[in-house]
Amino acid sequence: MAAADSTEKPFVLIETSDGIEIRVDREVAERSVLIKNLLEDLGPEAAEQGAIPIPNVNEAVMRKVLEWCEQHKKDPPAAADDDADNRKKTTDIDEWDQKFMQVDQEMLFEIILAANYLDIKALLDVGCKTVANMIKGKSPDEIRKTFNIQNDFTPEEEDQIRRENEWAEDR
Amino acid sequence: MPKRSHHGTQDLEQPSKRRRLAGARLDRLSDLSDELLLRILSFLSTGTLVLCRRVSTRLKAVATDSQLWKAAYYNRFVRPRALRLPGISDSAKHLLFSSKSSKWLDEEYLVRRGETLDWMKQYKLRHNWTRGSCAVSEISISDLPPAPPLLLRYHNGIVFTLDSSDGLRAWSSKERRELLATSVIEPHTKDDLPTSMAVDESNDPQFANQDIRISIGFHDGRFCIYSFQPDVRRFARMYEHARSSIGRLSAMTLRWPYLTTMSETRQLSIYKFAEVLGSSREYSQLAPPRLLSSLKSHTTSKPLSLSMKITHHAVVASIAYTLPTYFSGYSVGIQEVRLSLDGDIVESRLATADHGVFQPLHAHPQAVGESSTSPNGTNARDFGSFSTPTSLSYTHPYLLVAHPDNTLTLYLVTSSLEKLAISPGSRLWGHTSSVSGAHVGGRGRAVSVSCRGGEMRVWELEGGVSSLGNRKRLLNGELSIRVKTDRDLVQTNQNSLESTESDRGFGLGLSWADRVEDSSVTRGWVGFDDENVVVLKELAEGAQALVVYDFT
Repeated sequence: MAAADSTEKPFVLIETSDGIEIRVDREVAERSVLIKNLLEDLGPEAAEQGAIPIPNVNEAVMRKVLEWCEQHKKDPPAAADDDADNRKKTTDIDEWDQKFMQVDQEMLFEIILAANYLDIKALLDVGCKTVANMIKGKSPDEIRKTFNIQNDFTPEEEDQIRRENEWAEDR
Repeated sequence: MPKRSHHGTQDLEQPSKRRRLAGARLDRLSDLSDELLLRILSFLSTGTLVLCRRVSTRLKAVATDSQLWKAAYYNRFVRPRALRLPGISDSAKHLLFSSKSSKWLDEEYLVRRGETLDWMKQYKLRHNWTRGSCAVSEISISDLPPAPPLLLRYHNGIVFTLDSSDGLRAWSSKERRELLATSVIEPHTKDDLPTSMAVDESNDPQFANQDIRISIGFHDGRFCIYSFQPDVRRFARMYEHARSSIGRLSAMTLRWPYLTTMSETRQLSIYKFAEVLGSSREYSQLAPPRLLSSLKSHTTSKPLSLSMKITHHAVVASIAYTLPTYFSGYSVGIQEVRLSLDGDIVESRLATADHGVFQPLHAHPQAVGESSTSPNGTNARDFGSFSTPTSLSYTHPYLLVAHPDNTLTLYLVTSSLEKLAISPGSRLWGHTSSVSGAHVGGRGRAVSVSCRGGEMRVWELEGGVSSLGNRKRLLNGELSIRVKTDRDLVQTNQNSLESTESDRGFGLGLSWADRVEDSSVTRGWVGFDDENVVVLKELAEGAQALVVYDFT
């Protein structure tokens, strides 16, 4: 934990979509499978020579994502077969992540898109769970309001679906 | 430590302010790709998923996606079974949803149907079974009492009925619920009545529109093979076997090309038909079958169940029957005849259920007692049933016997090359009146009806009740569910009406009518497939109706 060690840590430069360069510990940046693979492809020296361009993520979102990566840098890497099939189906989110996700909807969806693009499965799941929790326990109308979704059903269609749903709806 | 907080403070506020104006009225959720939307919805319960279907066209499409429902189906219906089954339960604890069909136990046939299967529909079907909720409809099949009593078989959505006045008929239990085909059975003499019927069990239920072979046995020992041709809606008589001296054919089972018949004179005969060359569907095209073997059966006392299975090396015919015993009233036995494919008898063996240990759950009478006392006050608790069983159903390895004392007994049969054995029976409680019929199917699902018609229960008996988990479920009354129908409500009203009328002591007409309605009994015949249960109900004055319980 000596201060000297941390300055020696390898770092990378990331260039965001709005042209800002962010300097970040390589260990933290490698929570992103995209960046990790990129660094591996480029070889050990390349990382320090120029910034890695991430054209889909702006600075604000990138800083937020990196904040999460920093917090979770010690987490074990995701298992190889961690595909959609295999995840535990629970919407539990740990406390730190919950706080972290207390952002407006715009940012929330930006984080989801960034996590998806940067290939950070765990963060993507936290984001998706947060959205899922916003859907839970709401009526269809409340869901529409929450996400500003246009109701494009005719009343007849609505009736029809309500009947189709009768067997399963939580009441 | 200081490093983290440095990062934290720096970027918390900026983004929200900057983009709020632009983004506030956007529907960000619907803008996501299908893949991301699916990922979000995968964290929701099925109850919430169906609510999402009501939000918008886009959400409906995604929330109906088979990928979600397939996972839900697996987690709710397949995985718990894996945990229950002995042997694989240890490894199954970590078994999460997988699309690998090997992990689907014997439900991989669903997975193999893959792309075309509507998993939400499939989920709903199973859900309804576990909740016992279904729609009921009736098919009236006769206004008059048939003579002899109707013979029925249910096969893949088609009910076959046979009696001497209306002949052989096929009814659809799905969609339109109508008469599909009818064929007159011409008796040779006045007393020559059909006495048994079997539907070919070798049919693969996945192919809906193939011909179905039916065998019919007669009083004079003769039998016929019919073919039901669903596309043209007709029966064709393919073969008639001459009458014989062995007497009335009381039971038969057909698993093409093998036919096993049992006569009242305890003659068990196994025939093999020649494979048909080409596929002629015209009348009387079949060559006479070869009699492979004929031997004395151990018993013919009803109820019994005759069945057949074909392996790579052998044809095995089994007779499951009930037998009176000294100690426990009635027990069960199985006679198994094993033939080589060429018809040489390899062995014939017998097994009866173990006794002595026949005290499965009586240690907890307070937990299970209430509904098990028969109406006349006798307590059938300590030994087996003293009254003659009403029905018996055998689908390897499950052997289920229904008793008039409101209970069922489940036995597990072990039939291997080395041995034939029957486990001690386990009593199943749940019915509140005499059980008139029960049928057990492949994965241990069973349906039982009580003779007063009103009560039908669905049992999930997979793995038997000896495992700890199932035993607990049995004691908690969770092993079966009473089927609830929209009609139950009506029935309750009727009952209360009746009681008020009799209290007042007049209105005989109404009371009488209710009594008659109440006396409509199910005749102990019940059949089911993945979607429907069909029960034969006898109404006042002998009129008969098929009651179809639709779980879709």
